[in-house]
Amino acid sequence: MNQTLTKRKKLKLESDSGWGYAFIAVALIAFSLFTAYPVINAFIISLQKYGPLGSTFVGMDNFVNSFSDELFWKALKNTLVYTLLTVPFNILLSFLISILIIPFKKKTQTIFKALYYLPAVASGVALSVVWLWIFDPLKSGIANKLVSFLGIENQNWLGSSATAMFSLVLMSWLSSHGTAIIIYIAALLAIDNSYYEAAEIDGASFLQKLWFIVVPFLKPTTLFLLVTGVIGSFQVFQNAYLMTGGGPDHATTMVGLLIFNNAFTYFEFGEAAAQSLVLAAIIGFISFLQFKFIGKDVEY
Amino acid sequence: MKKRSRGLTLFLSGIMMVSLLSACGGNGNNAPASTDSGNTGTSNGGSEPKKDTITALLPPISANYQTRFADMEKEFNTLHPNLTLKIEPASWEDMTQKLDTQVNAGSPPDIAFIGASGISKYAALNVLIDLNGALSDEAKADYDEVPLKYFQLGDAQYGLPAYMEIHTIGGNKQFLEKAGIDWKSIQQNGWTYEEFRNAISKGVVKNDKGETTRYGFVFATSGVASKDYLAILAKTAGLPDYFDKDLKYTYTSKNFLGLLTSIREMINDGSMPKELSSIDAGKRWNMFLTGQTMITGKGLSAFENSARLNNEKIKANDGSAVADSIEVDYISLPVPTFNGADYVPTSIVDGYIALRGKKAPSEEHIKNIALATNFLSSGSIAANYSNELFLSPITESARNAEVLEKFPRNEDNVAAGKAMMAKALPARTDIPTDLAAEALKIETEVIIPKLQALLANEIAPQEMYDAVKAAAIKSFGKDGIVVD
Repeated sequence: MNQTLTKRKKLKLESDSGWGYAFIAVALIAFSLFTAYPVINAFIISLQKYGPLGSTFVGMDNFVNSFSDELFWKALKNTLVYTLLTVPFNILLSFLISILIIPFKKKTQTIFKALYYLPAVASGVALSVVWLWIFDPLKSGIANKLVSFLGIENQNWLGSSATAMFSLVLMSWLSSHGTAIIIYIAALLAIDNSYYEAAEIDGASFLQKLWFIVVPFLKPTTLFLLVTGVIGSFQVFQNAYLMTGGGPDHATTMVGLLIFNNAFTYFEFGEAAAQSLVLAAIIGFISFLQFKFIGKDVEY
Repeated sequence: MKKRSRGLTLFLSGIMMVSLLSACGGNGNNAPASTDSGNTGTSNGGSEPKKDTITALLPPISANYQTRFADMEKEFNTLHPNLTLKIEPASWEDMTQKLDTQVNAGSPPDIAFIGASGISKYAALNVLIDLNGALSDEAKADYDEVPLKYFQLGDAQYGLPAYMEIHTIGGNKQFLEKAGIDWKSIQQNGWTYEEFRNAISKGVVKNDKGETTRYGFVFATSGVASKDYLAILAKTAGLPDYFDKDLKYTYTSKNFLGLLTSIREMINDGSMPKELSSIDAGKRWNMFLTGQTMITGKGLSAFENSARLNNEKIKANDGSAVADSIEVDYISLPVPTFNGADYVPTSIVDGYIALRGKKAPSEEHIKNIALATNFLSSGSIAANYSNELFLSPITESARNAEVLEKFPRNEDNVAAGKAMMAKALPARTDIPTDLAAEALKIETEVIIPKLQALLANEIAPQEMYDAVKAAAIKSFGKDGIVVD
């Protein structure tokens, strides 16, 4: 009798596990089809000269060609510069805005959160059109009207190497903070009030509370935003494609745009796949460094 | 887990799985029924022709072209009861990307609309079908020789032309006359760069502060128009093609350096804006309609109609007229000649190519594709889109066909168009696809980026020339380029 009960329990457990596997199968199949398969296929294509009617194996040629291509290195450098200029500043700005929003009542906070999140809902193409209008190179352009107040003559914002990258960076600085702000506000709300009360009893100033309480508590959030920000920034494509086309003289050609051009302008899918894998490896390495050096004392 | 919950969850999971997998189905937008299907459908018996479906991916060639698709499909089916023409509309923005995705996935449409300059790109992938054996002599004879050759590569006829357009520049009649420019004579006899440079400097107007309120010449050089400017001017600068008759790359000749110097001079003179590298097609047309430039480029025949329609809106006080625009009489002008070269117009021929997928199509299917391609590029269909584009038809059948709507034309522009068209050179069919692909790579990776820098005054003409020459030597070798 006792043995029969144990068997039943075992069967029930196995049966429940089976159901569990059945249910996660949906996600697993989606992952296999739309993530794992393309990655494996990209690796195979990177070793081939791809053609729609048949491909030929070329070994590591696509990787060698990429590494010997000056434009690939220039695109990597541009991407790195863009990342360094945008990610830290965007995180800092999102943090400061969150600090400014947090003292408000919940309703007002929601209004601010919605306002800052609005650009994320709008189409990137539509936003680019607006920014193209702002960066109109003639005197009538909004950005040129603004700088004219400072006595600066009108700038060819997107057409000059001196200002094209800055224009894309400025575009990033002034938009797309919504997600980071929402995450920061959620993290700020999770800090227990008793810490602030204790600090106030000890006579801590606003800046001291910020530095000794808020910053350490927000470290996991900041690390998350840093890692995802760097990943997103290294994959940047749309802004350069729509705003400058990578010009002038490749001043804004990012790796994402180069990969796109190789694939869809020259039909060099093998080289594009090789460059994608190199980009993935770089992103992986940077993320590893971030976790190793910034995330070592982070507790989740 | 309760049985009912299990059942419900399993049911929902099943729905999710089906939705997920249905997205991977083969009949999405990117995969119209295909070239592979040489034997699509069934035979109705021994002697009757087999049923077949021909697919086509077509952009809005003219204003009303896509609205006539249903009628076109019906008419084709009436002419060939065993055949079905299935047209998938695409926007101009999507057209290339959609087609390229389908081609590289191995499931392109049977027919697609492209510019003839793109043929070598698809020929290099071996996805084009030679229609020579499938087209009757009578069908071929319907087409004018020059545009027909644009769809040839070697001996193969990879498609049929839809229309031929000359890229010109367009002037504001009132401003031209005010600047003392004899535009009628220029329309017939052309002009040299020196004459043009002098003319556009006369078109510049400045306000009391010394700021330019009207330029002599504005050409779109940003966005999709980035390669047009140099390519159009190069034709009349002794560089009609990337390769000479010995298949040597020509943009390394002194003519190229001379052209680059002229391009910089026009900006340095103040006749063109210093921000030229950021002016796109929409902006320069706006500048033309608002009186901010005397001459604009590139010019197309249909611009005469756009200007006329805007004039009518201004007269009628219609709020949809371009803001701050003035009434403009559009005058079509030839591109000036540089370096003492002969006038060679940039003739753009667009049309329909025949494509195959992974599986080779049957001979019968190729014949059906040829029938559909011929149907789309001739007769009343071609007559109507040519008419809407203000172009002369390039097939005899289209010239004889009735059009649905007639538009008023400026007779001087019509005569100028004919004079320029008469000087159009036939297409080069001897350039191998690998050379064409290398030239395209130099154009995209070196010429266009360097031109942007030249226009922004960041590099000198000599620096751009040297960069292009270095890239050309890398691609074609020292013996593969023109040295003079």
